[in-house]
Amino acid sequence: MKRIILLSLLLGSMFSQPLLAQSATPDFMRSMGKMYVVVAVIVVVFIGIVIFLTYLDNRLTRLENQIHDNDQKQ
Amino acid sequence: MGNISWWKWLGVALIIYTFTAGMLVPLQHGIVEVTPRSARTGEQVTVELTGYNCNYDQQSESLKAWLKLDEEKTLGASSIEVLGPRRLAIGFDLPAYLPVDRRVQDFSLILESKEDGTAILPTALLVTQDSIDPEKGIALWVNTAVNDLTVSTGMTFPFRPIIYETIRNTYFHVALWLSMMLLFIAAVVYSVRYVRNPMPKWDSKARAFTSVGLFFGILGLVTGMVWAKYTWGQAWSNDVKQITTAIALLVYLAYFILRSAFEDPEQRGRISAVYNIFAFALLIPLIYVIPRMVDSLHPGAGGNPAFGSEDLDSTMRMIFYPAIIGWALIGAWIANLQYRMDAVREEWIERLD
Repeated sequence: MKRIILLSLLLGSMFSQPLLAQSATPDFMRSMGKMYVVVAVIVVVFIGIVIFLTYLDNRLTRLENQIHDNDQKQ
Repeated sequence: MGNISWWKWLGVALIIYTFTAGMLVPLQHGIVEVTPRSARTGEQVTVELTGYNCNYDQQSESLKAWLKLDEEKTLGASSIEVLGPRRLAIGFDLPAYLPVDRRVQDFSLILESKEDGTAILPTALLVTQDSIDPEKGIALWVNTAVNDLTVSTGMTFPFRPIIYETIRNTYFHVALWLSMMLLFIAAVVYSVRYVRNPMPKWDSKARAFTSVGLFFGILGLVTGMVWAKYTWGQAWSNDVKQITTAIALLVYLAYFILRSAFEDPEQRGRISAVYNIFAFALLIPLIYVIPRMVDSLHPGAGGNPAFGSEDLDSTMRMIFYPAIIGWALIGAWIANLQYRMDAVREEWIERLD
């Protein structure tokens, strides 16, 4: 859970970066024919995949621990 | 490469192709904006034009421009002055009458360039007339035939007003969404197999594919919101497509909550398999039927298919279809990891007994 909170904080700070840049130069996201919107979409997809991998990793760790603990008991 | 199946590598190759071609192919020549947007009959109007993906200063001789109403009624430009590589000043001598029996009529602007190809801006100029005489107008407006248009050769993506470069999101947002459909179909197939023959592996596969499908669906919704922010004006505009998508995703989210409510694997498997079939049956009207019956900002509203010939040209199809398969294979890989993990647990529990 801690890791998820940390990760979301990290992502939050990453997303506020383009927002800050946007207020400095009003059309950052719309410059270059709105190319940065495509970049943002790809970044969102990648972050999503990373979050899903983290969830899978946690499930695998839980299974590993279950098997490990049981072996020690025997 | 070890135990990795061929289809996983195929998925990776297709996604690499999608990223490379999807990002490298340039947009066609287009018109970003013109000023002014309105004029009166009988006056000389000079339209300042800003182009996209063009080099006007290197081909000032070959440029041609028209105001166009339909195939027959056009007006050629009286002068074209190059202001910069992407800026032009186009003069039109507007006749005294319009070829229509209306006071105001909108015209498209066609800009022909030998080097960059033809660009069209629909509803570029609104022309107002004081007195109406369509017969005189028709005689005045049939002055220049639009011909010898240059069709851009090579690989390019269509230029669309407002959309611009974000047309490339077709390979990420749209393709991801369609591959989500493929994953949900796979999930429903395994649920049906579980109902017919309740083996734990069918339930585990159905669960795995549904989770990846839901994950792709959430990504589709979020990427759609990012895209909408810069094309529709705001991330969430309570558009019918957004609302029905959110409902469909909640229905699938409930699948996982339902699963967690059962201790007994057989009971859980049976009820969640039936629920999954129900969720899929609900998904189709929610995302394919309802958004087409009412007005929506999303392409595909008002009865037209989401991708007409207007939206996808043959170059885009060359990347769009591989992208769908690529994302679906990547999703299947993630699902594959999940149900193999379940199988390991299953085997371990069996060995304990």
